[in-house]
Amino acid sequence: MRASPPAPQRGADADPLSGLLASFGACLLVLCLGLVALFIATENGTAYTTETQRRSAVARAPVQVPDLRVFDARGQAQTLKQLLQQDERVWIVDFVYTRCNTLCLALGTVFQQLQQQILDQGLQDRVGLLSISFDPENDNPTTLNDYARRMRMQSDVWQLVSLQRPADRRQLLGSFGIMVVPAPLGEFEHNAALHLVTADGQLVQILDLTAGKQALNAAAALTAP
Amino acid sequence: MTKALAILLTLLAGLLSVPPLRALIEQSMVWHMLVQMPLLVLAGFCAAVAWPQALGDRLARFNRFGLTGFMLAQCITAYWMIPAMIDRAVVLPSADASKLLGLWLAGVVLRQSFLKAPLAVQLFFVGYGLPMLAWLGFYMANTDLRLCNAYSLESQLRAGRGLVLLTSALGLAWAYSVRAQVLPPARASLKHP
Repeated sequence: MRASPPAPQRGADADPLSGLLASFGACLLVLCLGLVALFIATENGTAYTTETQRRSAVARAPVQVPDLRVFDARGQAQTLKQLLQQDERVWIVDFVYTRCNTLCLALGTVFQQLQQQILDQGLQDRVGLLSISFDPENDNPTTLNDYARRMRMQSDVWQLVSLQRPADRRQLLGSFGIMVVPAPLGEFEHNAALHLVTADGQLVQILDLTAGKQALNAAAALTAP
Repeated sequence: MTKALAILLTLLAGLLSVPPLRALIEQSMVWHMLVQMPLLVLAGFCAAVAWPQALGDRLARFNRFGLTGFMLAQCITAYWMIPAMIDRAVVLPSADASKLLGLWLAGVVLRQSFLKAPLAVQLFFVGYGLPMLAWLGFYMANTDLRLCNAYSLESQLRAGRGLVLLTSALGLAWAYSVRAQVLPPARASLKHP
């Protein structure tokens, strides 16, 4: 890294102390500015990942879900807004792709358990489940139907839709803050989570996949009579 | 020679942020964190070797013993190790541009500071900075948590293991430079004419 002996302190003041003071001052300034930058970047040291920041941003200010055209397993077309507003239910939303073999199966299991809990607790009038596919190129009513059967979806509790216009995918994922990246074996990986969306289309809370129970409680609380 | 190398490395690191090479850093954390980022620092480092006076003289009085430069390099590298900022650099061109500039600058000031710093100061910053990188590498390689939304877990695991290796290599390189620094000048200059 260095071949020569220390270079003389060119440009340093003749008075060694004042030279040191200038350096200490500069060092302190850099440290303070650096800490401020790090604090801002991590939301005061509380959020180091995009996922944490996405969740805290939604908790601070709900996000309006875009009103895009979707179709379901029966091929019936409607807009996302119409779907969400069909009744007073609060929705727990996740994102899937029907060709999935790994991660979405885990997600599917989470939603299967939620479906069971909703039925067990009689919450089907207050909480709904909605899976949105982010793979519109490969989706049609048949693939959706197969997936719905595989997951044993009960359509009065758990609905599955895909986008009519593949070009809307970017807007949909962008509004929720979902990033989809290619994974080995032709699969996709994405920041999977449970998204709470109210009937008027507001994304109000994002929870961990493992926090199904809390998600259910939070959704039920939002629709408390 | 050194100037040509500095320009070449700078161009190479910069080109990784521009299509078509950009696909590499968008898809692989290894290319982003272990190829482009170190390349940027190295390019800055080489630039400071090639133009040592021009870059260092005016600011030398604010960088006695290399303190300020080390501090600045530490802050810049720490900033770009934050997973959320790595994501931003992938998604936002403006963030990517400041990453290019910042890490290159970190290389420049690192070189300037190594020239001015006594071994004790070097040891302090190297002894703090490298373990920080190694810790991050171990964490990335051993957690089930995806730290970056822009990269798959698989990519993160590989980058984590690579970061530990890179840190070890940097530690060895510094240890080697210490050897050259403590050798009597005559013998050192024989090795490095």
